[in-house]
Amino acid sequence: MMDERRRSPFSAFIGTEMEEMRDGYVRLSLRLGPQHTNPNGVMHGGVVTTMMDSALGAALSSVRGDDARRNPHATIEMNASFLSPAFPGDEIVVEGRLLRLGGSVAFGEAEARRRSDERLIAKARLTFAIAGGRGQ
Amino acid sequence: MTEQGERSPFLDLIGGQVEEWREGYVRMALALMPHHTNPHGVMHGGVITSLMDEAVGGVIASVRGIDVMKAAPHATVEMNASFMAGARPGDEIVVEARVLRLGKTVAFAEAEARRRGEDELIAKGRFTFVIVGPRQ
Repeated sequence: MMDERRRSPFSAFIGTEMEEMRDGYVRLSLRLGPQHTNPNGVMHGGVVTTMMDSALGAALSSVRGDDARRNPHATIEMNASFLSPAFPGDEIVVEGRLLRLGGSVAFGEAEARRRSDERLIAKARLTFAIAGGRGQ
Repeated sequence: MTEQGERSPFLDLIGGQVEEWREGYVRMALALMPHHTNPHGVMHGGVITSLMDEAVGGVIASVRGIDVMKAAPHATVEMNASFMAGARPGDEIVVEARVLRLGKTVAFAEAEARRRGEDELIAKGRFTFVIVGPRQ
């Protein structure tokens, strides 16, 4: 398993663990604690948007390899739907899948589920720009 | 948040501060540090989505009133964010949130993120909330 602290400092800081990373697919997880809540005591939306952004960034890196270091990709759009709340004690699993890698943009989607019953918590679509890509 | 309402554990965790809170306008700030970065060494998108989500949730609370909000919480159901420029450790991020419309069952708000003292947008988000209804 890859060290998430070395890979993505902010993702690791909030408690995310990398479970799987292969060709265009990444799975991350996080055990929700009281520190992940909003003033209503439920999971803060920022927890799952951070995980979904991280999952897709990594899924893209898994395909781009060394090129991702030379010409980094950056999220330019994220559209997320929050379908169900989550609470401290819940384990959140996020899967990111690359939909298309072009010369200067890439597209992906992410789903967040509760581990215990696979209930869909959130879903997002993300668009990335690739630095130094064609047309730049 | 003190007199403005309830504390947000996740905002505390990531190091965000409420700078201004009045009816229909909320401003938050965060000093970017190395633990807020992604694998490319720049600000993780999740930092901005977390701050924007917090700020728009707060600005809707500022209009609805804390007592009303506690009786019938609002929750983010959609987020559309555009990331227009990067930011690095040492930068100070300022997020401003405004209410677009507050209805009976849904509310709409937007947030803008900039570096302190600069006009250039680094991110913009549009959020839709559902007003959950009286707690059981």
